[in-house]
Amino acid sequence: MTHAMTVLILQLAVLLVSAMLVGHLFERVLRLPRVLGELSAGMLVGPFALGRIHLPGLHQALFPADIGGTIPVTPELYGVAVLASIILLFLAGLETDLPTFLKFSGVGSAVGIGGVIVAFAMGDFLAVLFLPSVIGFFDPQALFLGTLSTATSVGITARILSERRKMSSPEGVTILAAAVLDDVLGIVLLAVVVALARVHDGSVDWVQIARVAGKAFGFWIGSTVIGVLAAPRLVKGLKRLQSLEVISGVSLGLALLLAGFAETVGLAMIIGAYVMGLAFSQTDIADEVRDRLHGLYAYLVPIFFAVMGLMVDFAAIGPVFWFGLLFAVVAVAGKLIGCGIPALIFGFNFKGAFRIGAGMLPRGEVTLIVAGIGLSAGAIGPDLFGVAILTLLVSAVIAPPVLIQSFRGGSGYRREDRDGDLAASREVKLELPSVAAADFVRGRIVDAFRSEGFFVVRVDISSRIYRMRQNEINITMVQRDGVITLNTPEKHEQLVRLVLLEELVELKELMGGLQAMGGAEDLGDSLVDGLLETRE
Amino acid sequence: MNLRKVLSPQVMFPALQVADKNEAIETLVRRLAATRKIDHVAPLIEVVMQREQKDSTGLERGIAVPHGKTDAVDDLIAGIATLSEGVDFGARDGKPSRILVMTISPLKRTGPHLQFISEVVRLLRDETLRDKLLAATTAQQMYEALTS
Repeated sequence: MTHAMTVLILQLAVLLVSAMLVGHLFERVLRLPRVLGELSAGMLVGPFALGRIHLPGLHQALFPADIGGTIPVTPELYGVAVLASIILLFLAGLETDLPTFLKFSGVGSAVGIGGVIVAFAMGDFLAVLFLPSVIGFFDPQALFLGTLSTATSVGITARILSERRKMSSPEGVTILAAAVLDDVLGIVLLAVVVALARVHDGSVDWVQIARVAGKAFGFWIGSTVIGVLAAPRLVKGLKRLQSLEVISGVSLGLALLLAGFAETVGLAMIIGAYVMGLAFSQTDIADEVRDRLHGLYAYLVPIFFAVMGLMVDFAAIGPVFWFGLLFAVVAVAGKLIGCGIPALIFGFNFKGAFRIGAGMLPRGEVTLIVAGIGLSAGAIGPDLFGVAILTLLVSAVIAPPVLIQSFRGGSGYRREDRDGDLAASREVKLELPSVAAADFVRGRIVDAFRSEGFFVVRVDISSRIYRMRQNEINITMVQRDGVITLNTPEKHEQLVRLVLLEELVELKELMGGLQAMGGAEDLGDSLVDGLLETRE
Repeated sequence: MNLRKVLSPQVMFPALQVADKNEAIETLVRRLAATRKIDHVAPLIEVVMQREQKDSTGLERGIAVPHGKTDAVDDLIAGIATLSEGVDFGARDGKPSRILVMTISPLKRTGPHLQFISEVVRLLRDETLRDKLLAATTAQQMYEALTS
């Protein structure tokens, strides 16, 4: 027991340090997604590379390859990775904009559904075509490979769109709406596939498949509906405690509870975590909870990706390397076709459709989680796990340049009637004489909204983006240099203008007070005097 | 924001007869304080006047939103009055104000007084509603015009 704990702590130490450093190197020096660095760190220190070296004090390798079971990871370490994946998916659920997801029944949904169906079918078909051990479309290996092809990681795309100021373009809005649906569909698909893989005995029993799929959908829809209805009341009760720490802790506890419950009914734990996140995403404390759990996320999630890297067996990839590359290419093609065709139908031209397909290319966290679950459940072997990693690497490396290139040139939209929801939002701009003045005013605006009972969260530290929420009111504030812009639904424009007007009044008074400060010179003198004063 | 949670016919004051801005503020504060049985109205009048001195709260189209913050109140006090004759509230369009939307809120927990004002102002963009309010002779008529 003590030895196992010592090994766990040493493993965590090595994984955390290497994931942090290599992740940083990838992001800052190589300009690649941090997750790839963390994954590579795991591969580097894992049982199939440096980790196999025997450590003198430990009398064994730190990461031995052969420990029994289906994965070369100790149950203790895998437990930490599972906890990290639950936090990851809980936060992903919290970030989901459910009303947007429900509202975009048009082009976003068509693009999301198209991408998932085509990518899944192509991935599944490729497995049936090329893998001798796969006996049909419902073979667990084929199902897992199909599922691996579906999940989009929109984080990379969102960053590129934001940098290129294309976030609110018709393509940008469509990609973001489709990605939400894509996530939900991917998670439901995983639920079905995991359940099918567990009952699979080589034969295709349609009744059994329908029962399993029904149970998965039932659990997802049932728990989401109950969660969305119950969460606001629960939060209202918890708010009486006047401690956001307690609220955050309780919500995470509930995510763990539903994750465990999902597992006991034969689904994957992350599904429960995601659903609980989705339920809390509709409450006004969602951003605050996310903010408080971010510390946990920042250190546990790199460990999760590094653990996924540990499981990459280079020798096992060898025989399936070419299949892996083909699979990666097909996964890319699946998204381009599956998302591009609905985009073409819904008013985009070829350029726009290609942009949307390219935006849906990056694979990420969910791909890894699906692969990890498949491997640990024994549904796929280390060779197909390697294929998943190859797909992730290929899509993450080629997606950014393809996307950047695709956004060169004219409009990708044929219709002039851009999304009505964009028109329904209003922009209130405040131009200030300097960045310092804008920084100051921004701070005051944040305080003003807080005193109006809003929850204010800084979304992005580097680009000064804030989200202010109170019940159904959702306002964003962006500061670029000396300009502060507030985006608000039309209905709440008056509130934004009044808050800004009040702040302007306070600012005027403050400036008047400073100008009238007669003793300012004396105050300055006394501060300068003290600078060089020596004390005996 | 649901205005019914803040408003009631008791805080609607139709056709007040006042001579100027100061009298309008004082009268409305006194009427509002009476609905909450607040005896010391002086601090309440003072904070609204102070805010008015910093910058006039006259908006446009005959609307003014005098307000203030003080710990002399425990929670948000809000009310709406119409004036028989408009008075100068330093409105941006230079027109006299005839519809007053007033809030007095505690210093530490100010919200959601701006949400209340903004909701009323949003409704008052409608000229028909403004006319209805100005034509109302009873508090009940004013209340129904605003909340129907």
